[in-house]
Amino acid sequence: MRCVSESSWGVVLVASHAALGTYLSGNTPMHRLDARVKLVLLLAMTVAAFCATSPPAAVLCVASLAVCLAVSHVSLGTVARGLRPAAIVLVLSFLANAVVVAGGADIALVGQVGASSAGIWRGTLAVARIAMLVGFALVVSSTTMPTQMVDAVSSLARPLGRLGVPVGDLAMATSIALRFIPLASDEYDRIVLAQRARGARFDEGSIRTRLAKRVSIFVPLVVSLFRRADELALAMGDRCYSGDGRTILIGPMRLVDWSVLAGGLVFTVLVCLV
Amino acid sequence: MLEIKNVRFAYAASDGLALDDVSVVVRPGERIAVFGVNGSGKSTLARIANGSAKPISGEVWADGERGVDLVRAVGYVRQDPTCQLVSARVFDEVCFGPANLGLERREVVARANEALARCHAEHLADKGTAELSGGQQQLIAIAGVIAMRPRYLVLDEVTSHLDPRAGEEVAILTQSLVDEGVGVLEMVHDVCSALGATRVMVLKGGRVAWEGAPTDFLGSARALDVSGLDVDPCARAICAAVRAGANSEDCGDPGSLAAFALAHGIDRDVLGMLGQRSEADASPSHHELALEAATVSYGGVRALDAVTLASLKTVTLVAGLSGSGKTTAACALAGVIDPDDGAALLDGVPVRPGCVGLAFQRPETQLFADTVADDIAFGPRNIGLGEAAVVAAVTRAAHEMGLGDDLLGRSPFSLSGGQRRRVELAGLIALGYGAYVLDEPSAGLDSFGRNRLRAFVRRLARGGASVVVVTHAVGEWLSVADHVVFLRDGRVASSCDAGDAWASSAPYEAAGLPVPYEVRVRELLGGGACG
Repeated sequence: MRCVSESSWGVVLVASHAALGTYLSGNTPMHRLDARVKLVLLLAMTVAAFCATSPPAAVLCVASLAVCLAVSHVSLGTVARGLRPAAIVLVLSFLANAVVVAGGADIALVGQVGASSAGIWRGTLAVARIAMLVGFALVVSSTTMPTQMVDAVSSLARPLGRLGVPVGDLAMATSIALRFIPLASDEYDRIVLAQRARGARFDEGSIRTRLAKRVSIFVPLVVSLFRRADELALAMGDRCYSGDGRTILIGPMRLVDWSVLAGGLVFTVLVCLV
Repeated sequence: MLEIKNVRFAYAASDGLALDDVSVVVRPGERIAVFGVNGSGKSTLARIANGSAKPISGEVWADGERGVDLVRAVGYVRQDPTCQLVSARVFDEVCFGPANLGLERREVVARANEALARCHAEHLADKGTAELSGGQQQLIAIAGVIAMRPRYLVLDEVTSHLDPRAGEEVAILTQSLVDEGVGVLEMVHDVCSALGATRVMVLKGGRVAWEGAPTDFLGSARALDVSGLDVDPCARAICAAVRAGANSEDCGDPGSLAAFALAHGIDRDVLGMLGQRSEADASPSHHELALEAATVSYGGVRALDAVTLASLKTVTLVAGLSGSGKTTAACALAGVIDPDDGAALLDGVPVRPGCVGLAFQRPETQLFADTVADDIAFGPRNIGLGEAAVVAAVTRAAHEMGLGDDLLGRSPFSLSGGQRRRVELAGLIALGYGAYVLDEPSAGLDSFGRNRLRAFVRRLARGGASVVVVTHAVGEWLSVADHVVFLRDGRVASSCDAGDAWASSAPYEAAGLPVPYEVRVRELLGGGACG
């Protein structure tokens, strides 16, 4: 999605929000569910999807994905788009399972090369598993804001703090990175605009001159992002940030979150056992 | 009580003192307005007051606390909101400060909700901070600070990047905080900010040049002179009234100022102080810029909807609130945005990027080279001038903008805001365009810088160029403009000769813009088109 804001910069900013994942704003039950529950259940379903071998388990998995997609208003089209980057891997893994080169194929194609029905089943299963995982992952990413995701991960990782891992600092660094993604893209657009306004043409000349022109964007971009980072550090200091002693903002889970977590875990165990 | 005692400060040992023996006291429930030209030390004083800059000598105390504890007692909001937002989501932004204080989670959330409600910004809680308008960002920055419940607040020209309506909202919010007992130290440049302040202080060259009550400030020629406001028509008019015995309330709004002026027979004086319009003669060979039925959309949102700005000659103002499509119109006129429909034309020929000089609201945006000289040379080099011609163009442009040779070798980022603006404009005139589009060129400049800028625009127009000034501060540009176009929600709300907007509220009301102070006073005092 491209959106524009006439912000205080006074420059039209065309920012691509695709960089921030696939979050779709909404208020479905899945949006309201605690992000930690969603992350834990995503992990559990990943395990279950690989344990499930029997047809009833597969049916359970597909049914649960269908319910999740319906509840979170994520369309099948979105899942298909999510699968696109993995398409080559999917096709290859299907072929690797299905195609038999050394004879013994029950479906002959060309000479020694054929396909085995057992292989086709295995290949279909492999593709179905990955498609299902992409589906579940999309349910989580399209109903959870990146900031909530950071909070959830840092809250789940809190026990690591006892091992000396600076969880709070890592969480702050991640959330600042989220703040800098739109900043960097705005800054890039601004510099391009300013240079175009003074006659720079980025689409003319030899590859060498074009490259040189790109460099003339990236140098000031990096300089200005460092400047912004300094300003940000000052602004954080002005608001008493010191790295430790911060209140952890993610709240206790509600009863409904606990029940969904328990129900979900029981369900995944069930899938593994049938 | 926030006490700054005999503070001296320098940014580097080799530099001169940025503050020299400055003392201020802010008590709870007081608002101290600090005036001063660009580079007088206002921002430095703000940094000293919240403890983020350490003075060389002198002390800063807040209710018995000092040093690192100051930052808890003294909240600080800067001029530019984009530099101070640290979170990607609004609610997290407002929680950031209280969470750093290590409060209970429930308390943090309660304070954040309360602060958002105070700023009338509850509806923004779940928005991304990057998608807000400048005015909204500044409100959120203030909410983020008041959620920490500071006893004192330092505001560094917080309204200078905002449109008049957002500026009014911030002023009302500030006053309500003062009424609740927060002590406010406010760095300002608008004369109206002095009205209602507890005390006024003027900095000049890092020293306290004047200090006293608001009415004394407005009545004192010397105070006005050292604050650089003696060249500001509004300030001069208010002064004339104060000298005739008006108090702060009489000057607070145009209605009461006009009533006072009429009652005391000084209406001619006041009108005289508000200045005259100078109309430029369009030379026969004047370049002509136009936008024809231009439509620009971003992801389904129409920023411009079939906007036609016909035959723009000499100086045209394009006015409107934030989000009215002004900046999009500027970019389309300069050819850096291709309209989805319609076209921008210079002398009847479609505008290509680089054919029209475009200056952005923030000069930093435009500056990217290592040295001032290289930056000014960027345009001439792009059009393929030889090195000798480039040097000649740079020298001529630097001279025209009053940039000395000592500045040419420096980094543009080491300069003050006013100097950067001049470097930016030098970079444009080095190319000698037939038409210029300047987007909010006076933002962040002091009265002196503004005057100089207006004179520069006038000179460009006399030289045959057509100049479009995109601004929300219509009042201060009317004296040099010939034509005004008001935009609202991506459409032309109205357009008129600058003379018709000089002393009449109607065009502003039609565009949903607050009527500029001086325009309303002129209208009430019957000051016609030419004073």
